Amino acid sequence: MFQMKTTTNRLILIIVGAVLVSCSAGKDDPGKEYAPNMYHSVAYEPLKQIKDKDAGNWVSSLDDGLGEYYSSNPNNPNEMNMRVPPANTVRRSKNGDLPYRIPKDSLAYAAANVKSPIGNTQEIVDAGKLLYTRFCTHCHGDTGQGDGAVGQAFGGVPVYNSAALKDVSEGHIYHVITVGKGRMGAHASQLSPEERWKIVRYVQTLQKQ
Amino acid sequence: MSIKQLAAKLTKNLTVLPLVFFLSLASVSAQGTDSLSTDQAVIDAGASLFRQNCASCHKVKERYIGPALEGVYDRRTLPQIIAFVKNSSKEIQSGDPYLVALYEEYNKLEMTAFDFFDDEQIVSIISYVKAEAEKEPEAVVVGDPNDPNTSGAGISTGYLNAILVGLVIVLILILIVLMLIVTVLQRYLNQKELDEDDKEILASPFNFEALLKNKATIGVLAFIFMAIVLKTVIDGAYNIGVQEGYAPTQPIAFSHKIHAGDFQIDCNYCHTGVRKSKNANIPSPNICMNCHNPNDGILKDSPEIKKIFAAVDNNAPIEWVRVHNLPDLAYFNHAQHVEVGNIECQTCHGPIEEMDVVRQHSNLTMGWCIDCHRKTDINTQGNAYYDKLVELHKEQSKEPMKVEDIGGLECSKCHY
Repeated sequence: MFQMKTTTNRLILIIVGAVLVSCSAGKDDPGKEYAPNMYHSVAYEPLKQIKDKDAGNWVSSLDDGLGEYYSSNPNNPNEMNMRVPPANTVRRSKNGDLPYRIPKDSLAYAAANVKSPIGNTQEIVDAGKLLYTRFCTHCHGDTGQGDGAVGQAFGGVPVYNSAALKDVSEGHIYHVITVGKGRMGAHASQLSPEERWKIVRYVQTLQKQ
Repeated sequence: MSIKQLAAKLTKNLTVLPLVFFLSLASVSAQGTDSLSTDQAVIDAGASLFRQNCASCHKVKERYIGPALEGVYDRRTLPQIIAFVKNSSKEIQSGDPYLVALYEEYNKLEMTAFDFFDDEQIVSIISYVKAEAEKEPEAVVVGDPNDPNTSGAGISTGYLNAILVGLVIVLILILIVLMLIVTVLQRYLNQKELDEDDKEILASPFNFEALLKNKATIGVLAFIFMAIVLKTVIDGAYNIGVQEGYAPTQPIAFSHKIHAGDFQIDCNYCHTGVRKSKNANIPSPNICMNCHNPNDGILKDSPEIKKIFAAVDNNAPIEWVRVHNLPDLAYFNHAQHVEVGNIECQTCHGPIEEMDVVRQHSNLTMGWCIDCHRKTDINTQGNAYYDKLVELHKEQSKEPMKVEDIGGLECSKCHY
């Protein structure tokens, strides 16, 4: 009888072990969780979406008939949790910046008329350099020679201190960062207007090197 | 007699008009090359101008962003070249069919107007191009096929593991076969008439059953077995809710190794929120298309890149699979750690620049968070916010101020 009991105990342990091993995460499997109700947000998460209405049904404590893990907003396009800003509205920013409306092909106009709202202190140039290394170096290179790793593969990256570019105005540089030019794309979605102006200040030092 | 001399002679003789017409192209090109210089000083000046102003879009012998410049002095006259370099869009608008075709072929990409060049500078550039084009191609160094360094690649660890497993299986099979042979032999000998001595020998070797029934053996084996099982159970229990190693297949085979590793694109370029908000953010397709644009972008014909264009065309999101699923019960803020704390992305995300498929590197357990909050010094230099805190801290302790000293272990900092 005793023998029998230990055998059963061992068997149970082995089975528990095997089950637990299958709980850990792997290639495509996120693994199991202790308290799913506390792991999965009830509120809409911007960077998460689970469209399956039955996901986590077995653990659901709600009466809405939806699974615990279900996280989608059926009222949005593609059931997304994030919403597009309402039409005809602009973002309200700290500096009161309004969207840049000058079209891409009006480079000459922008070059002559767009003026920087920020100063030209060493702090601003340093901040611009930091932003430049994060957002520009991979194409334009450390010193604006067009020799960044991506620039070499992509091609068409000009030299800042070349005769064609060494004298272009701050408005020209700001316009190109904001809406793009030639093969360069618009970078307005990645950088705020203030950040773009800081980069302009640093690029101006590279023009004159 | 050179073509040029022939052409010159023929031009004088107007009676052979059809031939003149036929050779006019050659004659024009001859005019172009004629004014080019072979003087080394001029070529050097042209080389430097070329590197500064032209090399970003043109190569001498290969098509790049613009056409290869080799032979441009044969295709066009020098005045045509000079006019085009100084103001390309004006020349295209004049309707020259050659230029219009070129403009269309290169995705309507306009060349910058180099109106600050004088004619001599442009001539020097073209002289450089001609000199470069006429250079003998450099001998390509081909790797020695007998060189073991180039021919044989290293054996992968996966391959070695397979060999090891194979060997173990073979050894086990040999053991089973040997045991079978022993049994068969024993049975065979038992049936035979043997003398006393032989019987003793037959009975003496190693009694497997006795060994198995020996209490010490059973004890040791049972202990080892139970220890392994217990360890597995405890490890398994600790692993519940820990997603370390999770590396889901993504809808587009994006590789961080190529982008962040080989091409050294800063993480912040795509993950625009990482210094500004709680979330690092997944880039929207317009950021991908800064390099991978459908007109003339890198790899625009790749099926994986085409998935980006399809998403834009259908106005549908790319459904990336989230890798780091921090439980809803814990709060984490990227801006706080990256912008204020100056923590490198790799501290938590591991060698992301070496990953083709992103894998959750850290276990993201509370113990892991707390451990870092206990060990990490706060960089208070040049930040007036910390001045009074540092003063208060110095009164009580000689140790540098850690995250835990400013509330990094408070429950409600992360759980609320």
